[in-house]
Amino acid sequence: MGATRAAGPDALTEKMIRRFISTVAALVLLSLGGTGVARAERLHMTFNQPGATVAPIAVSEFKNLGGDDQGTASHDFVRILRRDLELSGFFSIISPKSYIEDPQKSGYDLGKFNFADWSSLNADFLVKGAVTVNGGQVSVEVLMFDVAQQRRMFGTRFSGGPGDVEQMARRFADSVLKAVTGIQGPFDTRIAFVSTRGGRFKEIYLAAPDGGGLFRVTDNPTINLFPKFAHSPASVLYLSYKTGEPALYLFDVAGRTEIRIGSAHGNVIGGALSPDGHRIVAAVESGGHTNLFLLERSGEEIRQLTDGHAINVNPAFSADGQQLAFTSDRSGTPQVYVMSLGGGPARRVTFQGDYNTSPSFSPDGKWLAYQSRSGGFNIFIIPAAGGQPAQLTQDARSNQSPCWSPDGRYLIFSSNRGGHERLYLMQINTQSQTGKVISALMEDEGNDTSPTWSWWLGG
Amino acid sequence: MTLLPHGHGGSVDNGRRLGRFTAIAAAVMMLAMVAGCSSKQSGAGAGTPGGPGGIGENGLGANGSSSLNQFQKGTLGANGQGPLSDIHFDYNDYSVRAQDGEILKSNADWMGKNSAARVQIEGHCDNRGSEEYNIALGAKRAQAAKDYLETLGVTADRMSTISYGKELPVCTEDTDECWAQNRRDHFVVQQ
Repeated sequence: MGATRAAGPDALTEKMIRRFISTVAALVLLSLGGTGVARAERLHMTFNQPGATVAPIAVSEFKNLGGDDQGTASHDFVRILRRDLELSGFFSIISPKSYIEDPQKSGYDLGKFNFADWSSLNADFLVKGAVTVNGGQVSVEVLMFDVAQQRRMFGTRFSGGPGDVEQMARRFADSVLKAVTGIQGPFDTRIAFVSTRGGRFKEIYLAAPDGGGLFRVTDNPTINLFPKFAHSPASVLYLSYKTGEPALYLFDVAGRTEIRIGSAHGNVIGGALSPDGHRIVAAVESGGHTNLFLLERSGEEIRQLTDGHAINVNPAFSADGQQLAFTSDRSGTPQVYVMSLGGGPARRVTFQGDYNTSPSFSPDGKWLAYQSRSGGFNIFIIPAAGGQPAQLTQDARSNQSPCWSPDGRYLIFSSNRGGHERLYLMQINTQSQTGKVISALMEDEGNDTSPTWSWWLGG
Repeated sequence: MTLLPHGHGGSVDNGRRLGRFTAIAAAVMMLAMVAGCSSKQSGAGAGTPGGPGGIGENGLGANGSSSLNQFQKGTLGANGQGPLSDIHFDYNDYSVRAQDGEILKSNADWMGKNSAARVQIEGHCDNRGSEEYNIALGAKRAQAAKDYLETLGVTADRMSTISYGKELPVCTEDTDECWAQNRRDHFVVQQ
């Protein structure tokens, strides 16, 4: 898939252009103009509170320029784009039934269609596009418009196979969020999770954050747990009892091969991959004591990180790879700690509550999300440097395993609030320390747990 | 675009693994026949792919298979006690309760009379809280029983421990009674 992003209204697009060009397969520049910096800034400000502003947006089916006679490519793109924009919490999708314009009869670029057809629907924003399918190659040109200002905000061209169209839409959704909120969206990424769908056994799966693109990693009738990514989702680290005893496995997604990571010190019961994927922190149990060890990616031991008779589990790296958060009961109850991988003692972060586990660093390293027993289990955030915790869910049941999105504006977590365990997306704001649960991501027969979130596929 | 396979990836290296699975399942079946045990074991639940430490039947009745093996067969929680009885724990605690001392004494006596037997002690937790913390807590529970049995004369080299955390509950309702049943050490006789 190639994608080229041309100039938008804000200076940050320079970085975007470089990012896209570095991964581009087919380089096509769109000439775009427009002002509207003031509006963009105002939007960035008003969009920074979760749920404070939800902009109505229309996403039209694409004009078929040839080869997409059934509309398959257009439907795939538009369906995912609408889904992701709705999930973002920043937009409401204006019902397609109300659209006046026929995309096949009107043009798709500035001056070739009538903005009145969209302003009459009270659309703040509009996405239109065109598609060409030729010899198994899908080319899509997508444009975003500010309806009130009758202005084109930006456009992107993508090309790839029919199976790439959904991912093109996720990448475009991220760009829409960038254009409107100033921060790239989190959809051109992968999540990994545990699911019992299709049976009784916990297996590891990958998917897009909108639940599409499901990929099954494990297929053994035992227990598979704790999938973890580096920043890249190219490899998945997970724990499995597939030999009868627990061990970590590092699975290469493209090659579908894996290596087993054990420890001479005892049973490995959990782990994490460093952001660059070069190292692993493993929780190793021996004689009832569980301690953390720093390993090479190959499993070779570098050094022991914790010592003593306590439980030390749930290792989680900061995005810069310098800090490690984890859970320890060295004080008598499970609490969240942070240590520097450069050395020095671990520092206790949580002091309220008697059962605080499963920390996840925010991408900027300033916050930790974790779960705490408070009636049921709920999701909290706390400054990583220490401070007052803020409770983000209020639930008598279990809300567990929070993981931050790479853009820092969402948490994914599991909850049995609806009966079955489901993965939920929550929009969060660290300034106001508030969160809004947007939606469950997938509906299936099984239980989905232990979500984790990669960084962007596109760089 | 070649960043990641997406769409329905299907199962992974299933063919290779299935081959091993079949071979191991066949080997386990043959062993079971040689040992002359009943044929209640089905091929489908006969074990998982794996090398040393793999899961297998050994013909010693209900207590002869691990909880994971029973879970695979769908019989976890349905079997009566074997020669060794479970002990139970308080919430988020791993100390042996006073009232369970008698059970461990009885288990130690059986181990004394069956001097060739080895035991794997399984630590289990109720289904509340972090999965990983619970595996570590279950390990402490298994170790607590191992240490206790050692004081009663069972040598350490006849005992091994494993924790399944909250993954293999014998009772699946969210009630105090169920949670109490699930916070347990289970003793699996291995030979």
